[in-house]
Amino acid sequence: MAKVQTMADTRREQKRAYWTLVLPGFLLYLSVMAFPTIFSVILSLTSYNGGKLFGGRPIEMVGFKWYARLIADEYFYRALKNNLWIVLVSVLGQIPLGFFLAYVLYRGLVKGRDFFQTMIYLPTVISTVVIGILWKSFFAPHGAFPELMRLFRPGYEYSMSSHPMLPVLFVILWMYSGMYMIIFIANLQKIDNTIIEAARIDGASEMQILRYVILPALSGVIVVTAILAISGSLKSFDLIYVMTGGGPANRTSVLSIYMFDKAFKGAPNYPLANAISTVMVIISFFLIGLTKFAETRFGGRE
Amino acid sequence: MNDIKDHNARSRISSALTYLVMIFFTVMALYPLFWLILSSFKTTTEFQMNKLGLPIRWVTINYKDAWVRGKFPMLIVNSVLYTSLTTIAILVFSFMAGFGFAKIRHKATAVLYGSFVIGILLTLQSIMVPLFLIVNWVGLYNTRLGVLIPYIGIGMPMGVYLGTEYIKSVPDALVESARIDGASYAKIFWMIIVPMAVPVAITVAILTVTGTWNEFMLINILTSSDSLKSLPVGVQKFAGALSTDYGKQFAALTIGLIPMLLFYLVFRKEITKGVAAGAVKG
Repeated sequence: MAKVQTMADTRREQKRAYWTLVLPGFLLYLSVMAFPTIFSVILSLTSYNGGKLFGGRPIEMVGFKWYARLIADEYFYRALKNNLWIVLVSVLGQIPLGFFLAYVLYRGLVKGRDFFQTMIYLPTVISTVVIGILWKSFFAPHGAFPELMRLFRPGYEYSMSSHPMLPVLFVILWMYSGMYMIIFIANLQKIDNTIIEAARIDGASEMQILRYVILPALSGVIVVTAILAISGSLKSFDLIYVMTGGGPANRTSVLSIYMFDKAFKGAPNYPLANAISTVMVIISFFLIGLTKFAETRFGGRE
Repeated sequence: MNDIKDHNARSRISSALTYLVMIFFTVMALYPLFWLILSSFKTTTEFQMNKLGLPIRWVTINYKDAWVRGKFPMLIVNSVLYTSLTTIAILVFSFMAGFGFAKIRHKATAVLYGSFVIGILLTLQSIMVPLFLIVNWVGLYNTRLGVLIPYIGIGMPMGVYLGTEYIKSVPDALVESARIDGASYAKIFWMIIVPMAVPVAITVAILTVTGTWNEFMLINILTSSDSLKSLPVGVQKFAGALSTDYGKQFAALTIGLIPMLLFYLVFRKEITKGVAAGAVKG
């Protein structure tokens, strides 16, 4: 039996349904992500260092004091430099490598595509904790790496302290290149095959097809992966935390480890930690903006 | 097909080279994992003399030791609990919101949905410290709920984004005719939207399961009791502390490796599809 409803009733029911559907998710998001983000910025401008948040010792606003402290801290620049190394390895290492692997598989230059794709992507899905400890043991002075090197160069002596970032950068390349491969394969498959066939019939070589058909079609995806790589690099934390903990002597530290140390190691300095995370967010938005700008300025057509 | 004849020899060489390169990368990807698994079957004494080769004597004592002393049964139960509850909650809440945003016209949508989309860019690092303080403040520190709520909230932006965009493609006419037939919004959600959204729900579930299962930083700072820790934290605590007892360490790492490995081998098609869908959101 159909109910007789007035327009106003329907409208009201619609509104109630809307809020019932949207509110639970939004409140969760608000309390876990949106509010803490704003809270973090505010905290970075205060003198709060532990104790009750409300009703305890009054919390003073100290302006940009912690940001000034940050800019004067040598540790900050060392961490930032390491972050930039990771950005470099991601953008100039993972993306080209991922693209190369994707291209070989997509064009069918080797058989067994499914096998190669599955195996090369494998490292990406494993817990960072497992990966981190595994490589830490592998690269340890008494681990497998020096032993492996001695197979090729007898008498090889390995010291991690000469270039402590190298193993970290290597593992980052090892772990995540497969992810870019997957992204590129998915988008290569969207390219209309008839265009490639037409180019081939017109006598285009494999290199020409790549240069004039495939790369232009992928320019948008390349920008997206660059953004992913940059924001991912700035976030990198888990792997380094497990593998080196930022050591030796903070030489493999990155911004997020710097922040973690300030908040959870020794006497906590929450405002400084929040100043670091705010700076991280600003840098990552700036770099993403730069990439978007580069796309509109130099990028090809979609 | 005509160029095959002319360049037969050359293309065979380049094809062989391509195979070599691909095999090289495959070996590179797999070797460390093989090395880990092989080493886990050696005693620590054997490992110190034989770091690269096959075990001379295969032993399983490392696994027995690690399994019990690392409290792995409890850790695995915890991980399954956190991962399944988080995934179910994210699916339900984000698809509800997606239904609201996509199919009920309301002037708040622009602001609310927009804030979710911005949320995709926010990172765990930028909220770690405030979240720790807030969880403490509301008295949820060192509780399961104090882990679950942040996990669910962090997964919402991606879930809402993928859900909303997908539900937009469900024809409006379907929803409207159901409304005219007198169906409630709850009924439309369960009977029409949910069945149609299964493909994107799989994507969201895959992204959530892998993300939650592997997460260890947040749970590390939000809990202190061993009984609340998840598998990655347990592995880190147990294996990370064993700097010289390699056999046990490698066994613990292998135990930590296996669940995701199995999940990947079973769902590899869905996982790679999900990664590609989750990535191209820019």
